[in-house]
Amino acid sequence: MQLITERNIAILAVGAFGIFSVGVFCTTVLPKFVDKELMDPKPNMRPYTEQEERGRKVYLAEGCVYCHTQQIRHLKSDQKRYGWRLVDAPPSKGWEYAYDQPHFIGTKRTGPDLARVGGKYSSEWHWSHFKNPRDLGEKFRHTSDSKLQKASIMPSFDYLTDEQIVDLTAYIQTLGRNQNWRMDKNGNLLNDYEE
Amino acid sequence: MSDTKLKEHRSAYLFMVSACIFLLVGMGFGIFVALKFLFPQLGDHPLFSFGRIRQAHTNVVLFAFLLQADIGMIHYFIPKLLHTKLFSEKLGIATWVIFNVAAVGGVIGILLGLNQGIEYAEIAPPFNYLIVLAWVLFLVNVMGTIMRRKVRCFYVSVWYVVGALLWTAVVYITGSILTRYASGLNQANLTWFYVHNAVGLVFTPCGLAAAYYLIPKVLNTPLYSHKLSLIGFWVIAFTYCWTGAHHMIHGPNSYWLETVAILFSWSLIIPVMAVVTNFLGTFATAPRATRFKSAESKLLFTGTLYYLATCLQGPFQAIRSVNTLVSKTDWVVAHAHMAVLGCFALYAMAGCYYFIPRIVKRPLYSPRLANTHFWLTFVGLLLFIMPMFVSGPLQGLAWLKIERTFLEILAEQRIFWMIRMLSGLLILFAQSLFFYNLWETVFGKSYFMKPATEEVA
Ligand code: HEC
Repeated sequence: MQLITERNIAILAVGAFGIFSVGVFCTTVLPKFVDKELMDPKPNMRPYTEQEERGRKVYLAEGCVYCHTQQIRHLKSDQKRYGWRLVDAPPSKGWEYAYDQPHFIGTKRTGPDLARVGGKYSSEWHWSHFKNPRDLGEKFRHTSDSKLQKASIMPSFDYLTDEQIVDLTAYIQTLGRNQNWRMDKNGNLLNDYEE
Repeated sequence: MSDTKLKEHRSAYLFMVSACIFLLVGMGFGIFVALKFLFPQLGDHPLFSFGRIRQAHTNVVLFAFLLQADIGMIHYFIPKLLHTKLFSEKLGIATWVIFNVAAVGGVIGILLGLNQGIEYAEIAPPFNYLIVLAWVLFLVNVMGTIMRRKVRCFYVSVWYVVGALLWTAVVYITGSILTRYASGLNQANLTWFYVHNAVGLVFTPCGLAAAYYLIPKVLNTPLYSHKLSLIGFWVIAFTYCWTGAHHMIHGPNSYWLETVAILFSWSLIIPVMAVVTNFLGTFATAPRATRFKSAESKLLFTGTLYYLATCLQGPFQAIRSVNTLVSKTDWVVAHAHMAVLGCFALYAMAGCYYFIPRIVKRPLYSPRLANTHFWLTFVGLLLFIMPMFVSGPLQGLAWLKIERTFLEILAEQRIFWMIRMLSGLLILFAQSLFFYNLWETVFGKSYFMKPATEEVA
C-alpha cells in the first residue's frame, strides 16, 4: 500500500496542514465566538489603573505565575480553601480575566492560589511578606508551630524598589474583586483590611 | 549549489554540538531550580530569582537543546533519506547563527525580567521573531532538499518533518505572537493550545521522525510495519491539536471545550499505540544478539517506553476526577519530564551518538562510557520521576482536607524535593559523561582514530 502523499510533496503538505487546521479552528477561533459571553468583560468591571498595570508588570517579570495559579476551580476543596472565614470563594469565571493581558491563570500551585487573595491581608502584611516570606506574621498568629513560620519557599523580593512593591500590592489587592463575594447577609463588605 | 567549500553536514554538526552544550546549561538551571525548593534564599539576586530561572530552565532545555538537536538531526537525515545533499549548507549555517542568537538573547532577556508571560513562549521580541525567521529558513532548506531528491518516495520520517515544519510554524506563531493581541480567557485558550502542541506538534513529530530513522538504522532491521506508520502519522495530524483545554479542567473555561479536549486526549491513544507497536515491533524483529548492545539502541528503546508511559498517562490525567487530585501538583512536572526528557531527549542523545561520529568520520570515543551514561541517566530518571508520582497525589489529597494549612502540606514535600535534587544531580553528571564522550570523539587525539577523510562536496 502506498498513498499519493508518499510521492507528492504538495499533497502531503496540504493534507497534513489541512486536517490539522480543523482542530486549530475549533479550539482557538470557534470558542471566541461561541463563548463570547464567557470572555467579554461584564459592565460592572473596570480596567486596571496605571498603578495596577505597573504591578502586573512586576508580577510578570518575576514569574509569580510559575508558583501561583489564579483560578478557583469548580471544586468544593478549592472554594473552601481559598475562601475567607467560612465564606466560600466563588469559582473563577472566564470574564473575570477579560482585562488581563497577559493572563496569569497558571498551572502550578507551589504557592497558594491567588485568584481571591485581594483584601484578605493588609497591604502592610504584603509589604513585609514580599520583603521576607520567612516571617509570616499575623497569617500564622493562631499556630503554635513556629517551624511553619519559616517554612515558606517563596523567594524574598527585597530587591524590588519600594515603589514596585507598592504597585505590586495594589494589583494583588484587586484580585478576586470582580465578584463581590465577601459580603455578610446585610450586604456589608467583610474583613476588608484596607477599609 | 555553490557551497563546494563547505563540508557536507556542517550545519547538522553545528546544531548538534551547540545542542549538547545547551543540554548541560539547561540542566544546570534545572538543578538550580531544584535547589531553590530546598533553600529558597540561595542565590538571592534578581537575576536568579525562582520565577526567572525556572523559565530559563524550560526555555534552554526545550529550545536551545531539544529543538536545536532535532533541527540538527533533520539537517542530516533528510538529505540521506532522499539520496541527495542538503539544499544549502550556507543557509543551514545562517539558520544556526540566527537560532542561537535568538535562544541566547531570549534567555538573557528572561533573566533580566523581559518575558511575555506565556508559558514556554516567554522569549520576548525581537528574539521570538528571530526564531520564526530561523524556522522559515529551515523550512526553505528542507523543502529545497525535497525538491532535489533522487528518490521518488518519502519515508515516514519525511512525512513527520514536513508536518512538523508546517505545524510548528502555526503553533509557535500562535503562542508567541498572536497571544500578544489577545487577552483574558481567549488568550488562555491560545496559550494552552500552544503549550500542549509545543510538545505534541513540535517535539513529537521531530522526535518521532528521528526515531523512525534511527531505530531501523541502529538495529539494522527494516521498519516493522508501513501501515502502522501511516495510521500513526495521519491520526496524530488530526487529533493532537484539539487537546489544549485539558490544561484547565474544572477551571474557568467552557465545559464543552473541556469535554472536547478530554475526548481527543483519549483518541490520542490510537496513534500512540500505532507508533509504539511499530517501534517495539522493529526491536522484536531485530537480531537478538545485537538488539540492546549499543547505547543508542538502549536510549531509543527506553525513550519509546517513556513515550508509551507518558502518552497513556496523559488521557488518564485528563479524566475529571483524576485531574482533581493531580493537577497543579508535582505530578504534572513529572509527566512533562517523562515526555521531554524521558522520551525526546533520549532520542536526541541517541541521535548525537549516531550522527556525530558519522559526520566527523571518527568512531565514538568510548562505547563503554556511552553505556555508563545510559545507565546513570536511566537510574537518575527513575529516581527523579517516581517520587513526584508519589508526592503529587499526596499533595492533591492533602489539599482536599481544608483543615490542613497550605504551609503544613508544603513542608511535608521537602523530602521529595531532596530526592528530586539529588537525582537531578545524577542525571546532570551522566550528561557530562555524554558530553565528554562526544568531545573526545570530535577533538580527541586517540591513536586508534583514523583522520577524517577528505570528501569533495
Ligand atoms: C517559589 C515559588 C513562589 C514564587 C516564585 C512566588 N511565590 Fe508567593 N508564595 C509561595 C508560597 C510557597 C507561599 C505560601 C507561604 C507564604 O505565605 O509565604 C506563597 C504565598 C504568597 C502569598 C500569600 C497567599 C495567601 O493566601 O496566603 C502571596 C500574596 C504571594 N505569595 C504573592 C506572590 C507574588 C506577587 C509573587 C511574585 C512577585 C510570588 N508570590 C512569587 C511561593 C512562591
